Amino acid sequence: MKAILTDTTKCIGCRECVIACKKRYNLENDIPRRWSAEDGLSARNWTSIIERPDDRYIRKQCRHCLEPACVSACPVGALSKNKDGAVVYDSVKCMGCRYCMMACPFGIPRYDWDRQVPYIRKCILCADYIAKGGQPACTEACPTKATIFGERDELVAEAHRRIDENPGKYFNRVWGEHEIGGTQVLYISDIDLSFLTYGQSLGTEPLPDRTSPAMHAVPYAFFGMASLMAGLSWITSRRTKLREQTEEKEEGGEDE
Amino acid sequence: MNRVRNFKLILWMILGLGAAVATARFMFGLGVTTNLSDRTPWGLWIGFDVMSGVALAAGGFVLTATVYIFKLDKFHSIVRPAVLTAFLGYAAVAVGLLFDLGLPWNIWHMIIFWNPHSALFEVGWCVMLYLTVLLLEFFPVPAEEFGFLSKIRNFLIRLRLPLVIAGIALSTLHQSSLGSLFLIMPYNLHPLWYSPILPVVFFISAIGLGLMMVTFESLFTAWLYRRKPEMELLERLGAAARWVFLLYLAVRLGDLAVRGQLVHLGGGEWQVGMFWVELAIAVVIPTVLLFIRAVRRSPAGLMTVAITSVTGIVLNRINVGGLVHINRGDTLYLPAWTEIAITSAVIAGAAVVFLFMVEKFNVWERRPADPDAEPTRKPKFHPVDGSWLGEPGIAARTKYSLGFIIAAAIGFALLSGGPVESRGVDPTPARMARGGDTLWIDGNLDGYGTSFPHLEHIRRNGGGRSCVKCHHMNLPHDRNSACYQCHSDMYLRTDAFRHDRHSSPTGANLACTECHVKGQVRNVESAKRCDECHNDLVPPGSSIKVKQYRAVSYTEAMHRTCIGCHTIVATSKDKPDLSRCTTCHKGQRNVTDATVLASQKRRLIGKRMVLPPIYRK
Repeated sequence: MKAILTDTTKCIGCRECVIACKKRYNLENDIPRRWSAEDGLSARNWTSIIERPDDRYIRKQCRHCLEPACVSACPVGALSKNKDGAVVYDSVKCMGCRYCMMACPFGIPRYDWDRQVPYIRKCILCADYIAKGGQPACTEACPTKATIFGERDELVAEAHRRIDENPGKYFNRVWGEHEIGGTQVLYISDIDLSFLTYGQSLGTEPLPDRTSPAMHAVPYAFFGMASLMAGLSWITSRRTKLREQTEEKEEGGEDE
Repeated sequence: MNRVRNFKLILWMILGLGAAVATARFMFGLGVTTNLSDRTPWGLWIGFDVMSGVALAAGGFVLTATVYIFKLDKFHSIVRPAVLTAFLGYAAVAVGLLFDLGLPWNIWHMIIFWNPHSALFEVGWCVMLYLTVLLLEFFPVPAEEFGFLSKIRNFLIRLRLPLVIAGIALSTLHQSSLGSLFLIMPYNLHPLWYSPILPVVFFISAIGLGLMMVTFESLFTAWLYRRKPEMELLERLGAAARWVFLLYLAVRLGDLAVRGQLVHLGGGEWQVGMFWVELAIAVVIPTVLLFIRAVRRSPAGLMTVAITSVTGIVLNRINVGGLVHINRGDTLYLPAWTEIAITSAVIAGAAVVFLFMVEKFNVWERRPADPDAEPTRKPKFHPVDGSWLGEPGIAARTKYSLGFIIAAAIGFALLSGGPVESRGVDPTPARMARGGDTLWIDGNLDGYGTSFPHLEHIRRNGGGRSCVKCHHMNLPHDRNSACYQCHSDMYLRTDAFRHDRHSSPTGANLACTECHVKGQVRNVESAKRCDECHNDLVPPGSSIKVKQYRAVSYTEAMHRTCIGCHTIVATSKDKPDLSRCTTCHKGQRNVTDATVLASQKRRLIGKRMVLPPIYRK
């Protein structure tokens, strides 16, 4: 399982990652539009640098969750997790319902709002490059090694090593290690990164687990309801029949 | 029958307006025709057309259950209209969805690409199947009129009970699954609405809403066609609905109490107010009214109850569908008029079909007289005012057509111009800089930028005619183009040449050979250079030579212009720091923050800082 570790204390905000990403995937011009969010991500910006007070720079991108809400939400399976763990998108399947955008707790997927044929656009962890043994454009371009690429286990260990070796420097937390089941894009930082989830702290329960009880109940609900209705219908029709018979009998009795 | 005709005229006008907006929606995309955004990807079309549409059509399964399962034959007379309403409601959901989906031609993909983990997949399948069931349930009604269909009709009537049972089971599933859709958003949906039993809550409210919709539809069409409403039945429906509402109230509040979420009611957010408003009009007020016998027995009273609770439950669907989502930043989504127009048109379309079916087939026990046709009246010419009194039926239809066309024309008129043409940003021509001595340069508008002492640079570079040292190029027929108009990407090279503008009939309409050499391959090399025709692009004396139509990125353009000159001055004046980053990038301040901006303004009085237009909102 591949991963990216971003150490925000090393980031100088040069945006080489943003440029590399745009160049690799030929992403077009991007001007802030009515529908743009304030974080700088858009259909044509798959990663962005968020500037925080006191010269803090935080690179935002798709978190490539281990159990992604978007993949579980997509009704046609257009989003899927490949063998390296990258959450990739198949535009052929997509029907444009935007449920993935609603489901993502990080608010990552973006839409081609100005296109007549719009697609969902987001970071795909350079899936085609890492499959060939390469690495994502962003980590390759980073001049200060603030954002690095590697195996997830190793990077989690590296993150903890950095936190332990520099007491007091970092927040004692690896963002993305456990939240909603863990993500493949990890952060360590000297500031609180909860603004990436709009100030909320995410639990450790993976989001697809929230829907699965309801989805598992579907066949039971269907056949349960159907047999309940069939049973009730049988009872009511039998009752009507019996009543009619008694009435007939009574009528017959009068006749005799 | 004027009432029906006027109502139909209004429906056709709404459809006309909708047709205009629909054209724009598919021509220009979702961005310019809706208020949806990356922060609020679902809006009215999901919250109302889909979520409420499905719930509003719940009357179909509730009444078929009443009549065919519980054998309450009294209600038989309102089953047909209820099933028709349900069928049209679901058809309207499907049509409405076509506008909302980005790739509507892929709507059938759920049939071949499966993801059974997705609640939406389940909703989609159930709606498809239930639409089929409803079609089969209703088909015998129009089939009565056509003798050759009698075999199919008899077969479907024999199949009725299985169909009814399948319809009820499917409805149970997708009415509740519409709630399951939001189970995956525990961090987005407000805790007063989020609950693991959302599916149950949705199912119960759908039953209540179904009863209320049947009531509303009966009373409204009775008023429209001046029929006698089936008050005895409606009173009993109302009596049943109050218990459903009480159950809903108990489940909703009980769930919040059990999970300890009632604390959120103490918060001062607007969502808390919304919660109370929603609960009050959806269930509390209707229930109280329904317990009063006089209200249940009067058409006006029942109508009030129906409208109140329908509004309330629709509000609930809209709330859950996106309005009370807290992870959406500061953006409050309000639907654009275009979205409202499409929604109204979809409803109007369903209503037109409903009236058609009611007039042409035996949906009610007694078919109303066709309001559009009075065949006994002969067309004649009015001798006094000269108007042509055609056959009334034809006259009414002419009126509908005219209404449709006029409304569509108004729609197109309202749409053209601004929102569709705009690139989304106000152009900032260079003349805005005049009169200010410091400019705030913030190309990506993220609040961080550099303050650029413009006046100081003019002074040092020799005043007056020195503008061209930096402002090296303008667009044709312009003398103060903004930098970003060519350097239109922050980080990438862009093509500043617009081929379509030169070649298209709506642009310059040039023949190919006006730029490309005849007989050669038509490419960049064989084309004329821009300045061979446009001699006003580069002002005389400019320090930067424009050789080609490719523009470097905005960042690079800014950096090259500044650093190039600064490096020369750094050596000639022996000020090595002048070409370093921090010479310009110092004291970056987030000016989008209101308080910082206020203090910024105070500090900058006298310096006359010129801010980009986005800050001046």
